[in-house]
Amino acid sequence: MRAATTVNRPRGRGFGPEWSWLAGIVVLECAVLALLEPSFLTQFNLYVVLRGVAVTLLVAFAQLVVLAIGQLNLSVGAIGGLVAVCTGGLMEVWGMPTLPAVVLGLLLGTAAGFINGALTARTGINGFVITLATASAFTGITIGLNNAEPFYDLPARYVAFGQAQLGPIPAIGFVTLLVVLGLAFFFGRVVMGRQILAVGGNARAAALSGIPVDRVVIAAHALSGFLAAVAAILLMARLGSAQPSIGSDWLLPSFAIPIVGGVALAGGGAPVLTTVLAAFLIALIDNGLVLTKADPYWIQFLLGAIILGAVGLNRLRTVAESRDARRLGVAG
Amino acid sequence: MSGPGDERLGDPGGEAAVLGSDRLALELRGIRKSFPGVRALDGVDLLLRPGEIQALVGENGAGKSTLLKIVTGVYQPDEGTVRVEGAPVAFASPRDAIQAGIAAVHQERNLVPRFSVAENVTLERPPLVGGHLIDRGAMVREARRWLDLLGLAVDPEMPVARLSMAQAQLVEIAKALSLRGRILLLDEPTASITPHEAAILFGVLRRLRDDGAAILFVSHKLEEVFELCDRVTVLRDGRLAAFDADLRQMDRNTLVTLMIGRAEHEVDLGARAAGGAAVADPGSTPVLELRGLATVAGARDIDLALHAGEVLGLYGLVGAGRSELARAVIGDLAITGGEMRLDGTPIRVRDARQALERYRIGYVSENRQSEGLILSHSVQANIAVTVWDRLRNRLGWIAGAREQAAVTPFVQRLQVKTPSLAQPVGNLSGGNQQKVSLAKWLAANTRVLIVDEPTVGIDVKTKHELHELIWELAGHGLSILLISSDMPEMIRLADRIVVMKEHRIVGEIANSRRYDEMSEAIMRRIHGEVGVVPGRAADGVMRDGAVSVG
Repeated sequence: MRAATTVNRPRGRGFGPEWSWLAGIVVLECAVLALLEPSFLTQFNLYVVLRGVAVTLLVAFAQLVVLAIGQLNLSVGAIGGLVAVCTGGLMEVWGMPTLPAVVLGLLLGTAAGFINGALTARTGINGFVITLATASAFTGITIGLNNAEPFYDLPARYVAFGQAQLGPIPAIGFVTLLVVLGLAFFFGRVVMGRQILAVGGNARAAALSGIPVDRVVIAAHALSGFLAAVAAILLMARLGSAQPSIGSDWLLPSFAIPIVGGVALAGGGAPVLTTVLAAFLIALIDNGLVLTKADPYWIQFLLGAIILGAVGLNRLRTVAESRDARRLGVAG
Repeated sequence: MSGPGDERLGDPGGEAAVLGSDRLALELRGIRKSFPGVRALDGVDLLLRPGEIQALVGENGAGKSTLLKIVTGVYQPDEGTVRVEGAPVAFASPRDAIQAGIAAVHQERNLVPRFSVAENVTLERPPLVGGHLIDRGAMVREARRWLDLLGLAVDPEMPVARLSMAQAQLVEIAKALSLRGRILLLDEPTASITPHEAAILFGVLRRLRDDGAAILFVSHKLEEVFELCDRVTVLRDGRLAAFDADLRQMDRNTLVTLMIGRAEHEVDLGARAAGGAAVADPGSTPVLELRGLATVAGARDIDLALHAGEVLGLYGLVGAGRSELARAVIGDLAITGGEMRLDGTPIRVRDARQALERYRIGYVSENRQSEGLILSHSVQANIAVTVWDRLRNRLGWIAGAREQAAVTPFVQRLQVKTPSLAQPVGNLSGGNQQKVSLAKWLAANTRVLIVDEPTVGIDVKTKHELHELIWELAGHGLSILLISSDMPEMIRLADRIVVMKEHRIVGEIANSRRYDEMSEAIMRRIHGEVGVVPGRAADGVMRDGAVSVG
């Protein structure tokens, strides 16, 4: 919704209410943490926060692109695990160099997403059920391939990239930045991105307007698989090993971040910018709890509370907006 | 709720303790109801007496359904009073109306497909044991009783999803009867059942009437109205054209005249200029031609020819199958027989995408909110959606300025009132939404445009703008198939009018643009010949009804 309406919005209004809310909270979080915990502003701590965001943001995007068509993908984590183990296997067992292994890993993730999309579009079965099933199937393959053992012998330069940093900024963060820019452009300007939003906004109207709905659904799922693969490959490089457990804890953040970012669960919107802010908002809370040595289990509780709070706020805003709009519509 | 009157109605063995006949079962006075841009009801009265069947008739959009929805608590009136047995009531929801003893059979199906017939029949008031648990045995017995009464031989334990349209309709009626309301409302109850089933239903209704029920019967089938009803109220454009009139002193012609009225004095566009504008040449090869077309929706033997620059009207009552025919043309519904030709060449349209991109046929849906627009998206995105593929540059993306440039001329030409192109369409008024849903097809540069109910729920001024636009487009050579249930609109805009009834074409009339003459000619084709020998006319119509589809 947001991405589509920012097109040609008159200057000065681009700083929408949702944007400013989230940005305000993130700045507040930083200020509070900096005051309470001197260690927050150390280069190492900032690096830790950023390298975390670099991966979770991609996980959130993998979910966001499917939420944009009004569906969901429960297999985001399973695709991540599958891609990690397969790419790691190519590197260790077959001794494949980094570049071709990474390319094959990305293709594998895209193919897994394609399967999700094709099954959803062709059978008409709810995407929830399809991705629940494929999640289990992908995880099964992941564990079966190497008897749940990780691959440790990854190319040195690949691992070095995963741990490299420029000041407090992790090298993998630049990849994520590229993806952020790419996605914003994709939903703003590229025909397929616009078609994804149209299908999510009203599939029936989109079909009658000549949009190939099935193809668009498949593309959204394939893109989701691709983004999950990017996340897995970056995480692998950072960890220095291909763990089959990669992705097992992605489900909650994959939904929490876009929801806090204000995505419409009914579809039709892909708010890339606010999703970025939401990822920081959550990462900073996580970091604050770690720094203050709070019980780590509280993060789980807090995340839940934040989701409810964000959804409640969005609901209030929608009600207020539609009230304004009605006035406007009658006057216009 | 169980009142003392419960056992009386619909219980053939029960005592017929008729209420004092001077007492009105239902009384509506001065009902007004407006929706944004339209006044649906303007000072309407309605009376129902115990032991009487009142007919409510009127053309499409006359306000019958709105009135029914007010009585059943779906809508609340803006003004006016509703009294049930003398006491003023204000229903906040359908539940309140049911509690007050009002049972209704709506035009739309309101059954739960996965529930059994018995569960559906007793949905509103399931028989209970111990106050909380459902007594399944009693439920089945109760359902069977009402099914037997209606002569419907289906297993009460069968899921409703497996019933035919006609059976589902009868279950809906059984459900209403099982409420044993003192007031029974039926909106087009015979739309999908056979004359035989209708005859049984009428028997039941007469028995209920004789037991003291107050019944309101809404139907387009005038022969049924004359056969069943005692009195009639006629609505026209949301106003009363006849109130509580005695049907025995009325003939078919009078009733039809009351329904269609005389030409409303609206701005007349006059005849389309023959010079300058490209008025259709009937001798030329039609742009779009249907030959003996049949569809899965039930259309049969549809012959239609649409010429360049022509506005061809497709008139019919709601449910005549006009929108379904339009959908078949754009490949959204399967064609089962006959052929479709574009410029004389047979074509097969696979889907809406192919209709648009290959054959340049567009369809402006009658449901602009659910099918025509993406409400949460901007005006610009909604109009450009049909041309994104064309707007993409060599790198595969769309420059914002280019999209804006493609959209702006249409926003200006249609005078869409919006604060900016970025405004979500859902925030615009109905008329402006309709302009946007039309604009996207103009942007797509179609050759054939099917416009379905373009001005429903739109204010008069915007309506005129849209009318002028349709003519202007035809003047530039666009072929327009206009579907409208609005008779004045049809007569003002169409060059020729094709009349549809029950998925068939029952007549084609060249438009003389004289309202009286045209409306009469059209209604005669829909309701059968009027004014010959009444008995024979009714027979003809009933035979017609026998081939109706589910």
